[in-house]
Amino acid sequence: MQLTEDDLYRSSTQFRKWSFTAQQLHAQRQKTNLSATERVKANVARVRAQRAQQAADSDSISSGVDNCSGASTPNVVTSAVEVNCLTAEEELKIVNDFCERAIALGTHNNFPSPVVPTCIQYMRRFYLYNSPMTYHVNIILRTIMYLATKVELCTVGHINVGPFAEGAGRNVTTESILAPEYVIMQGLRYNLDVRHPFRGVKAGNMEMLEILHGKYQGPSQGLKAAEVQAQMLQIPMKVNGPAMKMPANKVEERIHQAYSTATQTLRNVAVLTDAYFLYTPSQIWLAAHLLADEPLTLFYLNLKVPPSHPTYPKLLTTLRNCATLISSHRLYVYNTLPQAEKDAREAIHQAEVKKLVQKLKNCRDPDKVDLVKLNQAQKRDAVEGGALEESKAKRRKVARETYENEADAFWGPELANKAE
Amino acid sequence: MTSSATADGGQDLAEQMNDAVREKFVMGGFLGEGTYAMVHKAHYRHDPSQVFAVKKIKLNAEYHNGIAPDAIREMQFLSELTHPNILKLIDVFSSKDQNLSFVLELAPRGDLEKLWKNKDITYTAADIKAWTNMLCQGIWFCHENFVLHRDIKGSNALIAADGTIKLADFGLARRFADPGTRMTTQMITRMYRPLELLYGCSHYGGTADMWSIGVVMAELVKRDWYLGSETDIQQVSVICEKFGTPTEETWPGVSALPYYVAPEKQNNMVGTTANRIARPRSWWRQEFMLLGDDGAEFIKGLLTLDPQKRFNSRRALEDKYWTNMPRPTKKENLPKEGGGEKAVGDDLKRKGGETPTNGRADKVARKLDFGAM
Repeated sequence: MQLTEDDLYRSSTQFRKWSFTAQQLHAQRQKTNLSATERVKANVARVRAQRAQQAADSDSISSGVDNCSGASTPNVVTSAVEVNCLTAEEELKIVNDFCERAIALGTHNNFPSPVVPTCIQYMRRFYLYNSPMTYHVNIILRTIMYLATKVELCTVGHINVGPFAEGAGRNVTTESILAPEYVIMQGLRYNLDVRHPFRGVKAGNMEMLEILHGKYQGPSQGLKAAEVQAQMLQIPMKVNGPAMKMPANKVEERIHQAYSTATQTLRNVAVLTDAYFLYTPSQIWLAAHLLADEPLTLFYLNLKVPPSHPTYPKLLTTLRNCATLISSHRLYVYNTLPQAEKDAREAIHQAEVKKLVQKLKNCRDPDKVDLVKLNQAQKRDAVEGGALEESKAKRRKVARETYENEADAFWGPELANKAE
Repeated sequence: MTSSATADGGQDLAEQMNDAVREKFVMGGFLGEGTYAMVHKAHYRHDPSQVFAVKKIKLNAEYHNGIAPDAIREMQFLSELTHPNILKLIDVFSSKDQNLSFVLELAPRGDLEKLWKNKDITYTAADIKAWTNMLCQGIWFCHENFVLHRDIKGSNALIAADGTIKLADFGLARRFADPGTRMTTQMITRMYRPLELLYGCSHYGGTADMWSIGVVMAELVKRDWYLGSETDIQQVSVICEKFGTPTEETWPGVSALPYYVAPEKQNNMVGTTANRIARPRSWWRQEFMLLGDDGAEFIKGLLTLDPQKRFNSRRALEDKYWTNMPRPTKKENLPKEGGGEKAVGDDLKRKGGETPTNGRADKVARKLDFGAM
């Protein structure tokens, strides 16, 4: 009757649908990019041909009425050069940048804690199967943020889209927030639950404090709570450093410090990496904690899994790989740099992103530029499509009712519905 | 003449995946309609013997904030919970007109509320034990996954073709809150709402669901509503009349709750004679005589006012009530909703496909509408 945390995690959609090896992740991004590139090129070619045709047909009309994609038709359509599409790597850089903007947006709006990390994971999941060339990051980010607030806060009360749209920027209408909702739901494959490492790191922190206070009850390799406590007071400050006795209040400070550093890393860096796709929440928090205070983390880990355990090397390698993924992120590296160096690097980075966003302007799928109109068109098409089939549907309905009447005649009329 | 984006058939990957899911199913006959959703039967295209219920969420014209929160919660939580006593969400897809459809396990034998209301069915203490046990297992799995159901009631405990109880409707569910986070107390249908919520306590846990299970169990015993009332205030007095008003002694901390009224201050409240001490064991045995002594002890554990002392789902499953005689009835021997000749006939007529005792394909074929969608 005991379920382990692993059992529970393995049944989650995050594990079943959204966990990958690095190779799988890379391959999927290539595939998405390829398919989007083909579509962009085909659609641009089609729109150009249409325009050429119209121009030929209606020489008399002076001002060419653009009835393709509204006022925001990208100039890619009017130009004659071959469309220069983004590569999968460039797409990822753009998505990464908008994930960073999500953090800024969340801070600006003061969203409670899980909203922004959930929003970022939705972004990363969505753009695994969609390209920014098809659905522009700027539009999608707003809606995903709205969706994340609904998922994480809908228990607080209704999240009204009106004020959200007002807070999301100038010219943002409620329609523009709501129009891509179904597209996004499809892209997320209707999996809305995101498992974060934040509760895990908090629990680890509480457990470390329990150890310190001599109240530890978890697995301890045969040691008594007092013995574990005594060991904790002698954890070296540095890896391979000398063991030295530390007063309990200093150790408590150390535990809090490690927790706060690890949490910062999780919130501001780990969420921006592929960590959620590649590792479990507990691996992620332990990796962040490892970066924050390696001796303390190893002490904690060894308590749970002794180094002699057959899977220990694999476990530690996994944690170190995850830690490397996090610590090689640009923003983590900045922590180690002097301000001037950091600013210089950031300027280069920003320039690169700016160029990519500019490039994106010229390779957008002309069919998906105006999602509000598209959404309306889809709803209309569905209705019209339904109308076309109406005669068919009617015939079927009559046939069905005949069946049912015959059955009713045999079995007597339905009871359940009327009893309601 | 707009350049129709939908006409060129070019779909992005996500659309293709969505359509692939939708194509897996063939929609069949109409099963029912509520204000919130329309339910159809469906089966796998590749295997017509596997039947499901497809719940198509209706577009709510009154709701202007996109996809409604109850649909979101149902999607969020049911996709994560795979357990024999929780109604499984097989798939989700959206149709062209942008309505969400949930493909759910089919539970064609009604629900626990219909069951006790149907006076043509007789059932025993062992049957109640079996049903309650399945409910407890389902909710235990939710709680192990840190999900609160918050709307347990007889009509949300569906009965599958083989008699298994399936916990359904996660439209009000939520994750366990982080310590200190306030939660809304206007949750759980009033009749099944525990006293701590009625007192306005915004920090509650899994034991709130356990109270609701206690009420469902009591309804099964009494074959009647157990704690009914018209308003929240009435509900408090109904509960207190039944079990006594809690005090700091019986429930430490209760006096700090926003809407708590101590027994000595209740004199001027109309219709309240709630100034009572907690009920003695003999009262419980009397009240739930059908359950036997250990059954009465068990339900007392669920219907304990102090949420700290109330059974949590794990404690409930460890109770000796389950292993004592009489043993819970085996699923296949449980009475099923739809008893009475006419009702069974009606039931078979509409949902014949999944009744194990009754051939299969012939009736499905007769009622399924392969042309729909």
